[in-house]
Amino acid sequence: MKKVLFIAFTLLMTASAVSVSAQNKDRRKSFNSWDNYEITTEKVGVDGTKFVKVWGYGRTVDKAVMAAKENAVHACIFRGLPGNASAMSTPPICPNPDTLVSHEDYFQNFFAAGGPYLAYVNMTTDGVPSGTDCRKVKGGYKVAIYVQVMYDNLKHKLEADGIARKLSSGF
Amino acid sequence: MDSKIKFTVTLALLLPVLAGAQAKVKEVVTSDYNRNSISFIAVQRGDVYDSDVLAAVKAYNPGEKFDLNKIATETIQVSRSRAVSSQSPTYNYIIPTDVISSAVREKSLDKEILTYIFGRDSQGFMNDKLIRYRGNYDAKDQDVINARASRVGIEALGDAGHGLVSHSYVVVVDPYSLQKKVDDKGKVTWSASTKAYAYKLGLSAEQLNEFYDKCWIYEEDDDATKTAKRQAFIDFPPLMEQAAVVSASGSSSDPKKAIYNSLSDIVTHLENQLSDWEVAVTIAAKKPLRAKIGTKEGLRNGARYRAYSYREDEAGNLISVPRGYLRATEISDNSGMASGETEPSKFYQISGMANIEEGWTIKQSNDLKFGVMAGVKFGGICPGASLAIDMDLLMNVNTNGTMSYVLLGGAFDLKTASGVSAVNFGIGYGYAFHLSRFIELMPYISLINDYVGPVSSGTSSTASFMSKSALALEPGFRASVNVAYPLQLFGKVCFDWLTPLRGNTYELWNNSANHGSRLGFQAGVKWTF
Repeated sequence: MKKVLFIAFTLLMTASAVSVSAQNKDRRKSFNSWDNYEITTEKVGVDGTKFVKVWGYGRTVDKAVMAAKENAVHACIFRGLPGNASAMSTPPICPNPDTLVSHEDYFQNFFAAGGPYLAYVNMTTDGVPSGTDCRKVKGGYKVAIYVQVMYDNLKHKLEADGIARKLSSGF
Repeated sequence: MDSKIKFTVTLALLLPVLAGAQAKVKEVVTSDYNRNSISFIAVQRGDVYDSDVLAAVKAYNPGEKFDLNKIATETIQVSRSRAVSSQSPTYNYIIPTDVISSAVREKSLDKEILTYIFGRDSQGFMNDKLIRYRGNYDAKDQDVINARASRVGIEALGDAGHGLVSHSYVVVVDPYSLQKKVDDKGKVTWSASTKAYAYKLGLSAEQLNEFYDKCWIYEEDDDATKTAKRQAFIDFPPLMEQAAVVSASGSSSDPKKAIYNSLSDIVTHLENQLSDWEVAVTIAAKKPLRAKIGTKEGLRNGARYRAYSYREDEAGNLISVPRGYLRATEISDNSGMASGETEPSKFYQISGMANIEEGWTIKQSNDLKFGVMAGVKFGGICPGASLAIDMDLLMNVNTNGTMSYVLLGGAFDLKTASGVSAVNFGIGYGYAFHLSRFIELMPYISLINDYVGPVSSGTSSTASFMSKSALALEPGFRASVNVAYPLQLFGKVCFDWLTPLRGNTYELWNNSANHGSRLGFQAGVKWTF
């Protein structure tokens, strides 16, 4: 009986250790991945803007806020915005999945720290991210902020820079 | 044996799963607080106190924290005597909750609340004026900022009022014991023990939509539709759900005031039972700590809140972590609609290892602001050791951490001759400073009545008691250290000065007790309730 118990205990511990290790690996991956963020449309924004709630990860709250701002602009360009009960979904400005790779240098500069992307995003959170919108996670913080993206301006900029196709270019 | 092994192995494998499930059901404290509306109803027992009960309930105002639903029903008749039995001289019969609940159902209070909230007229027409007003009034700064950033604008803030319909409560109040006491000098004191039964309008979002679909009459509806919608309102299922039962007591020289006083405690006790009623908000700034609540939420100086931060566990479950307590210091007047720049109230942190940070949630955590201390005193009036029980009542808290206390205390001399009793009790005032939230230093002064006399038979008169008493003054200094809030360790050093104001026989009895003026030390533990 002791043997059986010992084997069961060993199996249990091994399974737990493997599970925790896998979770840690997954978490590290998700922490570093740019595609791992959640974004929801809050309401229909005022003309030319999108009003969204977006999450970001970072080692500090400030870094997580900056990541969330980047994510909001990234979503508008590459991912599109989901709809909700009061707002239609918004397609991405650059629907071609290869755009990021083909214009890597441009976007490296665009999304650099303090880069041009900041001109297209306004944080509308009252103060700092608060309550359940600011969570300590392993390795840092996960925060949600309310953001107003200057969608039309962003689109015009990418069109002017030759990154996005103008609506008229197909005709 | 095999079955035992199987059971053990199964249990071992299930334990992590069970632990995980347990973690998931743990409630997460959030900062989602919305205003509640309330109606008070008096139980009428059919006796001489009914008019006093009704007058006190009608006069009671729960304060700015609640919106009032002025429904037609003000009383519920439950003809039960306050006498426990026909033979018993005790008048404190408590009506069973199910009796009150059935009386509430019979009155259709849910329909009355909906009628008031939607301004329903005799033709069945309703409007959303009050709903929109309440939605606007409940809006926080974040809501205003969000509204400005959206196309619908701040005009849409009132829409949130629809969500407040389900925050409607009825509190049925029954002072089950109302007793008059007259002391030797003819002073009359009324004491009221009151039971309160809270019911909530159990209206889900789906039910509210159903209510709008089936009961909302439009001008353009034809007569048959209007009639059907009027009937649908009458037939709408009962919605009142029992939410909490609490009791409280109050006293005064006037029976109405005694009942009235018990009502204010009832609201506090209901706050402790009903999560909806506990104000929760996030910290807007620190140094000093500030949060955007104030008079609108019924915030008062000294009100205690508990701080929470959030973390995610390995499985991604959200967990709220308690991080210490704080008390309100300067209360902002935030009555009126939010503008996006509401003036915050200020707080002082009183416990917790970590400094409370911006963005953390704070949630109302009522306490009595009443500390009880037990300790041993060496010296002072008594020459040897005495057992001391002290109390302090927090009167005021300032943003810099200074606090005012009213002090009450008593000490029992442990070294007296057989047949001699020596006790002293006092009242005082203290003004505390905080070096940090962990250490409180407080100079204080107390006026002490020191009694030395025979072991009391309990029949001695006041004059006899005073003749064996002397007055003493006790200036002193108290230091307290937070061990694990609300537990503190404290030490006191004082000088007890026995004044010449002494009773005729005090000196005679004091020959054996040897009470006098001297330095004293006291140490013990304090618990704050």
